[in-house]
Amino acid sequence: MNQPFNILSRRSFLSHAGKLGLGAALASLTDVPLVVKRALAEGNIGLNGKKLLFIWLRGANDSLNSLIPVEDSAYNLTNRPNILIPKDSIDYSAVTGAMDFALSGNGLGTFDYANAIRTGNGFAAVHPSLKFLAPVYNAGDLALVHRVGYPKQSRSHFDSQNYWENGSPNNNVLKDGIFYRTLLESGLTSTSPLTGVTVQSALPLIMRGSAAAMTNLTDPTRYNLFGIPNSTSGNAKADSFLAVGNDSSFPSKKNRDFLQLQYENLENTLSIFAGINFTDKDPDAAGEPTSGDGNFFLDDENTDGDTPYYLFPTRNKKNGGAYLSGRNGDTDKYTVDTGAYGFFRNLKAASLILNGTSAIIAGTEFGGWDTHNNQGSATGSHANLLRRLGWSMYALQKFFKIYGKNGTNPLPGAQCSWDDLVIVTLSEFGRTSIQNSSGGTDHAEAGMMMVAGGGVRGVGKDGATSAILGCHPNDSIPWVTGQTGSMFGVSNRYLKRAYDYRSVLGRVIRDHLGATQGQLDRIIPGYADSGEKLQSGGTSSIDNTPIVGEPDILV
Amino acid sequence: MSGFATVLLLVATTTFAQVDTPPPTITSLVSSNGQQVIGFTPYPAANVVRLLASTNLADGFYTVTNGTSTNFTWFVPNPGPNAFYRLEIQPLTTNAQLATIALNRLAYGPTPKLLDELVYSNDPQAIQDWVNGQLAPDTIVENAANSHNGINEIEAKFATAATYISNTATEGPGTAHINDLRAWFVLHAVGADRQLLEVLSQFCENHFVTQYSKTYNYFTSFYNGVGNARERIAAELERREMERWRQVLLDPDGTFLDLLTVSAESPAMIIYLDTVNSRADGTRIPNENYARELLELFTMGVDNGYDQDDIVALSYAWAGWSVEMVETGDWNNPHAAKATTKLNAGDSSTAYTNLVGPWVLNFKNSRYRNTNIVVFPGKMVPARYGEPWVSKTYSDGTPGSYELDIPGRSGTAAMQSGYDALNHLANLPFTEEFISVKLCRLLVHDDFHHGYDFTDEEESPEEALVKQCMLAWENSVPKGKLRPVLSTIVNSELFHSQYTAFQKVKTPLEFAVSAIRALRFSTNNAAPDSFTADTDGYSISGATNQISATPSSAPLSRMGGMYLFERADPDGYPESSGGWISAGTLAERLRFAQSICIAIGQSGKTDAGNANIVDPVAFLQNRLPDTDWKDADKVADLFIGMLYPGEGQANLTQYRAAAVNFLNTSDSGTSSPFANLTVSTTANSTYDNRVRGLVGMLFTYQRFQEQ
Repeated sequence: MNQPFNILSRRSFLSHAGKLGLGAALASLTDVPLVVKRALAEGNIGLNGKKLLFIWLRGANDSLNSLIPVEDSAYNLTNRPNILIPKDSIDYSAVTGAMDFALSGNGLGTFDYANAIRTGNGFAAVHPSLKFLAPVYNAGDLALVHRVGYPKQSRSHFDSQNYWENGSPNNNVLKDGIFYRTLLESGLTSTSPLTGVTVQSALPLIMRGSAAAMTNLTDPTRYNLFGIPNSTSGNAKADSFLAVGNDSSFPSKKNRDFLQLQYENLENTLSIFAGINFTDKDPDAAGEPTSGDGNFFLDDENTDGDTPYYLFPTRNKKNGGAYLSGRNGDTDKYTVDTGAYGFFRNLKAASLILNGTSAIIAGTEFGGWDTHNNQGSATGSHANLLRRLGWSMYALQKFFKIYGKNGTNPLPGAQCSWDDLVIVTLSEFGRTSIQNSSGGTDHAEAGMMMVAGGGVRGVGKDGATSAILGCHPNDSIPWVTGQTGSMFGVSNRYLKRAYDYRSVLGRVIRDHLGATQGQLDRIIPGYADSGEKLQSGGTSSIDNTPIVGEPDILV
Repeated sequence: MSGFATVLLLVATTTFAQVDTPPPTITSLVSSNGQQVIGFTPYPAANVVRLLASTNLADGFYTVTNGTSTNFTWFVPNPGPNAFYRLEIQPLTTNAQLATIALNRLAYGPTPKLLDELVYSNDPQAIQDWVNGQLAPDTIVENAANSHNGINEIEAKFATAATYISNTATEGPGTAHINDLRAWFVLHAVGADRQLLEVLSQFCENHFVTQYSKTYNYFTSFYNGVGNARERIAAELERREMERWRQVLLDPDGTFLDLLTVSAESPAMIIYLDTVNSRADGTRIPNENYARELLELFTMGVDNGYDQDDIVALSYAWAGWSVEMVETGDWNNPHAAKATTKLNAGDSSTAYTNLVGPWVLNFKNSRYRNTNIVVFPGKMVPARYGEPWVSKTYSDGTPGSYELDIPGRSGTAAMQSGYDALNHLANLPFTEEFISVKLCRLLVHDDFHHGYDFTDEEESPEEALVKQCMLAWENSVPKGKLRPVLSTIVNSELFHSQYTAFQKVKTPLEFAVSAIRALRFSTNNAAPDSFTADTDGYSISGATNQISATPSSAPLSRMGGMYLFERADPDGYPESSGGWISAGTLAERLRFAQSICIAIGQSGKTDAGNANIVDPVAFLQNRLPDTDWKDADKVADLFIGMLYPGEGQANLTQYRAAAVNFLNTSDSGTSSPFANLTVSTTANSTYDNRVRGLVGMLFTYQRFQEQ
């Protein structure tokens, strides 16, 4: 396990240097158990061991080609001439309860199947690139929620991402994030140096706020500072004088409190992350991890009839079956595009942090979903993005089941089991039901969310016969088929919502992370307005649209 | 118990009624262990803090000389009898305040030379002349290329719009890659005399954002996915729009419509927002992407006077705007046919790899649908704008109506529909407001927004400034001239005030460039390679001899993915701190700041690269008499004066104490008087490390993140 963060040692150094006064208040807190230091006495966020991992799909995923209403007659070549995912000859209306794990040909190639994959709910299918959802779905650990949106949906990326992140549709004034408020409600942010983490280029709005600093890592392998000379003692001297600078006072300016919080967060988290091995090296000729490799996480079963693959494809030689020696780039085998490596490095880091630290929420993102142009169908740019996403769900399930707390081969000090975790995907809206003249799709309304984790109410759990929500004509708010149906329910152009994203997140924040209803009403302001019907469902008073309320996604 | 405390702000400064800083107050007065401890509120840009006391008001006040002030607290030992106290604060002069604001907003940070001329010279005319020059860049001589050989070397690779860009050339026009363009831009940001031109060039690039890699991906299929041509063409298309914006900015009559037109005509934009393949002919549905962002991001601002129906209607105006390779002589003809000149005359192939000509804007009129287009039907300018906007006429002649009616057209004449849209959008009140807001965010502070009620009586300084900008825009001839709007901001009371000074956080580009500029002092009359700090440009923004769109090791990439000419999202890189500052990006900023100060050959230098150099010992030896080279106080004051010229000396007492302490402390933390070291310029000598370490420390402090 990591050492407690080392403010004490750096402050002692400073004291030893002996010229300047010290603020000892922070140091006195470092060895007190978190529960004692908690500022609020409400709810269980951060105390019940439950954690959340989110993946932001920026640019707006074409949900109709992800969770496909394959039995809707309007999902056809007239509306989507270049991008339709074809049906197989199988009976998609058969209710099987399980998602097909498509094998064809010799049964060994992952991606030599190019048809819509049957989900078993009798109506919906998934894109062939999402094949690796099947093992997670069939284990009862995955729910897919279709027709997710919010009232008066904006079709601007920036507005809509703002609303998903600040948790307050059509509110451009609220400048802090839904997960930031969740963590603030934990009462731990003032005392625990690490509650929320993202691994991406910059801290997203969903984790931003003025009263506490969440941590963003751009490159975890570079999370240490230099001194001059760049030696052990030179660096210690530089760190100690950085602390002196942080203790200095100045007249108030717009960004000074913010900078102070972020600098302190940096100072306080340096040693925490120093305790995690974020390195990533090529495996040896046999494909085995080399000594000291921090990305040694192999599956515990074979894929494609091959050797066990690396869970996080971060480089060619860890990229599924395509680039292993002798495979000669066989892209029918499981593989991701090389542009995915950065995302998987970040996803791996977020997983290691949830598993190895006190962090309660971690997340990352990847873009490229704004497919206005030549998005492709079973193959192409959108298919490549979905491959990453499908494998992510599988890899995370395997990582936490093997290397998490209570796993079959847990990492030392593992703090997060698969049952402790819920994974959610976010994307700002769906895309037009009819393709445009450029072989792409434009901005539309409702989209799709994935919810995964050991505590998810998937098929076979708690009497569930399907975990596809919002994509069946028999739903409480039916999916209406045809050219005047749900796919054209808004302005005769766009998929109409049946769920509010806040109901999905609200359910997870309360029933998984442990917020009280009172806390949830503060975290998601819409919950406090009974007219919004976020919890119970009903007709939203904002735009008179019926919504389901909270989806039944947790056991 | 002590007597009454009163506070007096002495030095008379020009007062700004709306935007004055409140006077400081004494907040606490306690006796403790035989001394008086007097706390007071911080005062921005405080240069001198003086404590006055009086034991008998009839006798007047005397200056307290037996105390120390630190951290906004005055400690008076042995105070004697109870006394009345008052505080006297002397801020920086108004000229010094304006100069430090202007050097951070109208430039990429101060340089020692500019601080000498504008701040430390105490010449009140100098700063006003400098500001006026920045607002009229055509009146300033640009000498950047004389101080850095890299600029001319890179410019030799740039093409003209008519240049055929070959796959095989190894030198000369048409061989620039994207990292050459990035380095060229950084070298100008570092060294240009026309600093505001550079700031505004980046503003245009970021406002009308395009993405280099989307362009080269577009060309991949035409060039079989191999070779240099597509990377070079993509880089040139980025450069071409930048060059045209700079021409507009250099034109005294340049308008926002001019900038907008450059963007709309740019092949990089046509490819970036997917107009390139958009068709409306037959029953085809045109691509909405450009129409949406044109309204939301480039002109009116999000949710500001348009709706989805307007986006759809407007998308028809752009069907047909595309790109093509044409004959060299047709470079400026958007209706020209595809090039026919063969690269290899013996090869009958008409593939682009076998054709010669430049890639340019091309209107493919067969994709246009001949139909009436009505944008903003029946929409009226909202009452909140007030006069003159609510009752003037726009396109359709009805007062207050901004409906745009574009008649049915066909053939080459149909291209006019796009220009109709630009002409209409460029001077709508929504656009005047949104662009003014963005300029105020750039030059003043982040807390401006659109949607003000300009008719209310109690207006904030921010709202008032936006309205002044809109009036300057509206009243200029031609309408929408940029210089009157910029001048309105720069000459405003708000700009001159402490509500502008250091209210913004630097972007990665601003941080990196300002760090190089801070100690960039020529030891030989501004000749190349004569500077105490410098960069080759590549080492900040990209990589030499690499074409990577996202060079992962470049400092700008590491500080938050700020790839110049490569923003993926059309909203451009953020202007405000929240988008840039978190622990991970701060770690990268601090590493960069230390690494540029490390001597070549020493551990950590290669992190920021050997071509990003700061040599503080050379700097101090040029600036201080040799008798002061081992004087910790003088050395600390020298560098604090260069890095923090606008904060006020009285507010910097803690940084100064840390600096002096750093100089007198060994690496292992023990006392090691600076005066006892041997002056040395040798890398890794104790003296060299100590001074480099001091400057690195000062660069890593919070206040250097601000501008």
